[in-house]
Amino acid sequence: MADSTETQTERAPLPLGPNPRFITENFEVPGIDQIEVYRAHGGYEALAKALKSFQPDELVEEVKKSGLRGRGGAGFATGLKWSFLPKESPKPRYLCVNGDESEPGTFKDRMIMEVSPHLLVEGVIIASYATKVHHAFIYVRGELLKAGLQVERAVREAVEAGFIGKDILGSGFDLAITVHHGAGAYICGEESALLESLEGKRGYPRLKPPFPAVVGLYSGPTVINNVETLAALPAIARYGADAYAAYGTEKSKGTRVYCLSGHVNRPGNYEAPLGLSLRTLIEDLGGGMRDGRAVKAIIPGGSSSPMLGADKLDLPLDYEAVAAAGSMLGSAGVIVVDDQTCIVGATLRMSEFYRDESCGKCTPCREGTFWLVQLVERLEAGEGRESDIDLLLDICDNMFGKCFCPLGDAATSCIVSSIKLFRDEYIHHVREHACLVGPGATRAHATAEAHAR
Amino acid sequence: MAEQVEELVNLTIDGRPVSVPKGSVVWAAARKLGIEIPIYCYHPKMDPLGACRMCFVQVEKMPKLATACTTQVAEGMVVITDSPQVKKARQGTLEFLLINHPLDCPICDKGGECDLQDFTLRYGPGASRFDLSKRHFQKPIPVNEQILLDRERCIACQRCVRFCQDVAMEDGLVMQERGFRTEVGVEPSAPFDSIFSGNVVEMCPVGALTAKSYRFVARPWELKRGATVCGQCAVGCNVLADVRVDKLLRQYSRTNDDIDDGFLCDRGRWNTDLANSPERLRQPLIRRDGKLQSATWDEAIALVARSLGEIAQRDGGEAVGGIGSTHTTNEEAYLFQKLLRVGLGTNNVDHFHGRFPQGDNDAQPWVWSDSIAGLERASHIVLLGADPYLRQPIIDLRIRKAIRRGARVWVVSPAANRLDRLAAGAIRYQAGQVGAVARALLQVTLSERLTRGAFAEQRQASLAERLAGLADATPEAVSAAAGCDAEALRTLAREIAGAKGAVILYDEMATREATGETLAADALDLALLTDNFGRAGAGVGPLLEDNNSLGARDMGLLPGSLPGYRAVDDEQARAELSAAWGVRTPEAAGLDYDAMLAGGVKALYVLGANPATHLSEEGRAALAGLEFLVVQDLFLTETAKLAAVVLPAVSYTEKDGTFTNTERCVQVVRKAMLELPGARADWQILRDVANALGLGWTYSNSAQILAEIGRTTPIYAGVSRHGLGQTGARWPLAPGATEADGQRTLSGSPFLTWEMLAQGVAKGRGSDQLALSAGRGEQA
Ligand SMILES: Cc1cc2nc3c(=O)[nH]c(=O)nc-3n(C[C@H](O)[C@H](O)[C@H](O)COP(=O)(O)O)c2cc1C
Ligand code: SF4
Ligand code: SF4
Ligand code: FES
Repeated sequence: MADSTETQTERAPLPLGPNPRFITENFEVPGIDQIEVYRAHGGYEALAKALKSFQPDELVEEVKKSGLRGRGGAGFATGLKWSFLPKESPKPRYLCVNGDESEPGTFKDRMIMEVSPHLLVEGVIIASYATKVHHAFIYVRGELLKAGLQVERAVREAVEAGFIGKDILGSGFDLAITVHHGAGAYICGEESALLESLEGKRGYPRLKPPFPAVVGLYSGPTVINNVETLAALPAIARYGADAYAAYGTEKSKGTRVYCLSGHVNRPGNYEAPLGLSLRTLIEDLGGGMRDGRAVKAIIPGGSSSPMLGADKLDLPLDYEAVAAAGSMLGSAGVIVVDDQTCIVGATLRMSEFYRDESCGKCTPCREGTFWLVQLVERLEAGEGRESDIDLLLDICDNMFGKCFCPLGDAATSCIVSSIKLFRDEYIHHVREHACLVGPGATRAHATAEAHAR
Repeated sequence: MAEQVEELVNLTIDGRPVSVPKGSVVWAAARKLGIEIPIYCYHPKMDPLGACRMCFVQVEKMPKLATACTTQVAEGMVVITDSPQVKKARQGTLEFLLINHPLDCPICDKGGECDLQDFTLRYGPGASRFDLSKRHFQKPIPVNEQILLDRERCIACQRCVRFCQDVAMEDGLVMQERGFRTEVGVEPSAPFDSIFSGNVVEMCPVGALTAKSYRFVARPWELKRGATVCGQCAVGCNVLADVRVDKLLRQYSRTNDDIDDGFLCDRGRWNTDLANSPERLRQPLIRRDGKLQSATWDEAIALVARSLGEIAQRDGGEAVGGIGSTHTTNEEAYLFQKLLRVGLGTNNVDHFHGRFPQGDNDAQPWVWSDSIAGLERASHIVLLGADPYLRQPIIDLRIRKAIRRGARVWVVSPAANRLDRLAAGAIRYQAGQVGAVARALLQVTLSERLTRGAFAEQRQASLAERLAGLADATPEAVSAAAGCDAEALRTLAREIAGAKGAVILYDEMATREATGETLAADALDLALLTDNFGRAGAGVGPLLEDNNSLGARDMGLLPGSLPGYRAVDDEQARAELSAAWGVRTPEAAGLDYDAMLAGGVKALYVLGANPATHLSEEGRAALAGLEFLVVQDLFLTETAKLAAVVLPAVSYTEKDGTFTNTERCVQVVRKAMLELPGARADWQILRDVANALGLGWTYSNSAQILAEIGRTTPIYAGVSRHGLGQTGARWPLAPGATEADGQRTLSGSPFLTWEMLAQGVAKGRGSDQLALSAGRGEQA
């Protein structure tokens, strides 16, 4: 992944204290979802500043300088992505906001949209101004009905207040925003499938190139950004790129909203600088492991990221470090698995997700996920063969790098990483016809389940 | 045509260098080298999809395997198609495809021509590691009247769906559900009702889509595949006529990029009645005691020759006439007029056709000046009283392709048309008023001074006169009479005049409507005066009725015209023909179709035509009352029932010859099956009748007749089966390169220019005569 941030030699002093909350600062304020309350807490001032103090291109530079990277999964540098838009184009250009958040273990965008929809709307307006877009679309996952309604209401309120529409705050900048409710497909979070879906077609990913920046929505140049990415913009506009870039690590700047779930005492969303260690997240913010159990595995970036073993607890959660450890920070959906969890069962659950959410366009993903699930199912039920384990790996090899879009690759993550870390546990299922831990650990249980199938 | 030279890109595949046009995909480059890269979702006539993941190759410097169908070639690219990684990936894809594929190959119609079977054999794993449960669907479900879908066999390549959506641009098959539950289906609210539906059966790489008519009927390896030309309409799509023993089972496409673009319509694909119908005539019939009774060929031929000969002898050639066919081959049309002109001494020969104005007793080539492929370059396509979806379907499909490339289509028709939905404009008029509409378009062009180009400039003097002749055709007047919108007529006329290239097409039979008399001339003038003529993507002409409607005209099945549109009184032509034929043809024009049928002759030879269906009760009685009527046909038609002698002929799949399609393309028709026992090819029957008349014709195959056409018909100069090659050539023909073996190829003319029409094509015509002919009131 390309990265635009310059290497910083000396660290700036922390301008906003050790734990700034660029995104969630006012999330506890009652009624922050209402425009009056939002404005009373400085809402839309960043927009006014952006419109007044920056030319669009300067704003792009400012975002580049902030080091902000996409929070949707791939972590692509946001300012750089914007600069890929052609300067001139005969077709209208668009901004599409990816609020399809469906990655298992990820629930930050939902919170942003439900709790402080105006923060997103303000970010969308700033991004549109910077990219010279006059029509933005906010695509909200259909199941997140409340989030969608909140965003719709926020857009309505912002229109009434003159933040959306013609000549916004006398800047001469025009913008329309359309909110769209998805229809229930994980694949529509993939940016090109999202575009297809917005155009009213089936949610199939598109062939690239051409990339959306060149040929996107309705064939116009299009930027697609995640909700959290855009929600960071008001803070960057307000405090300046340098203040934002003062946090995080060398190449992973600013804060992230970590979605902590699994067997911890206090699951939830926690905003903290990038580079936060897993241990701090679990122990300090998450209140430690439930029932005092031990960590068995961590899935650091949503179910699509390979799981890591308990030996990685001191890993700093930034893009580079997690990648170096063999996984991905992805959506920062950190799922913590305790030692009483059957890893084969957990893998089965995740595999089922990918089988059910595969769009079915390409052969390896459509058929591979179908086959993988049946095999893991058989293993989990204690009816598998030892050769099934290597077969799983070979099926994953035939899928990985050979699918049309990253969903197919993602489907192999949990299987490959769990076999790598916990092969013995798989073998135990084969030899003992039972789980190693958890309720299925007795032979009777496993056999009963198998027979029930 | 001065084509822009394509930029070539050089790459190597498996160590072999190859150059292909920029923008090509790796698959096409490999194909050029004869290297097979297996594909399922890719189809050369559709945009790449990249879904099946079958076409993996290794490209140097690319981290992952690449799909050859989506990867564009680049200068210096190094591609490997058979590395261990590629082999494993292909095996992987095939194994995936097979886990949910039923093992019903032994009863599957596709078996033997199935890409899944074939590629599994060539690239697949020997055995599957899948030992779990397959996904099941209810076995075949109908998707329309003709096609069944077996969802278990579907590999979700989306070819069929993309054909419906992207090529046919119509409702039809869609993808439904997702993931491993993915299936092809039809929305009940948007049924798969399309004349192009059969293409999905042909392009389905597996046996998921099968034709009802072909199910469990044959195995592909039992088929004899005759490379011929479809004889069911004027488009002339290239086909493989698939024959099992003595039955024509289907026609599959034999891609000709310039004509059919690789597609067929359902009529061509599945209407096998001409060859297979149990109603076919199997022996000559002679009327005895008022009833048609079986006879031998010798008896029938002798009777026909004797009767025609005697009447011509007794009352002169004018007493005899012939109505020829728009279905038979050029060779047969040629022999038919030769028999009448040479053997019976009459120019009384015609066929059922549209009304085309004729100047100075001179037949003219009323023909589409451009080509089907040229449509893709048009900025505007105007359909006047034409409905190609129903009548020339594959031209409709090409119009859809032109629309995808940005062409604006105007549908000017009396009734709703399938192209309306995609058209830039539609003008409805009261049936019969098409000619008035064309006159109004011309009126606007002239009155608003929209003419442009050299042709119009050189004729400024006659334009006022032409306009004066259109005084009754103001948009207002026409809109009142024809019930169409005057403003729309103006808009259309202005668009035509401003077009980068407009193609104006009218249906041949629209010229027979009440006001259609001058339609052909008015449309021609409209194109000429707006400079929409004489280049690819601009032109005008009729969409003809039948597979050899144009050939019939070309070959001189016209009372005023010898083969190649040379007037019957053209001295030079007559001299040349008398040298070839040994007899001077009559100088006076003969009787036309209507005149012959209105009692103008005593004996009539009807070949492959059914005039009785165009006649009133009295007309049919007159036909029955002729002194002698002989009908040569496949079936006992309404006309044949009135005949004294009926001669059984064979259909186009049972004989050799050539057809000329509606865009002047002369193509080779090849015999794909044995003649129906008892029936004979028309050219053989004609030869035998001629010989019974003592003409001493020695033709023993159709190629000999074609060679004679090449010597006697200027626009077909030098024509030969070899020279026409696999894809045919558009007349006027000219000699092409001489090949190593001394055989000569032919080169054609993709479009006609005004100069060609005026000087070369129809010899001896002053260059002012053709255009503006309607203005001078010359009608035939
Ligand atoms: C299968 C799949 C699902 C995805 N789902 C989401 C999603 O729900 N939300 C999201 O923001 N990005 C998702 N992405 C990533 C998007 O494709 C895209 O990278 C992102 O929206 C870009 O925004 P960003 O640069 O701000 O991160 C998904 C990607 C894939 C391959
Ligand atoms: S990998 Fe293939 S089947 Fe899976 S979601 Fe992507 S395109 Fe669809
Ligand atoms: S029915 Fe045939 S053509 Fe259509 S998607 Fe399935 S395999 Fe492909
Ligand atoms: S043929 Fe290339 S992916 Fe299907």
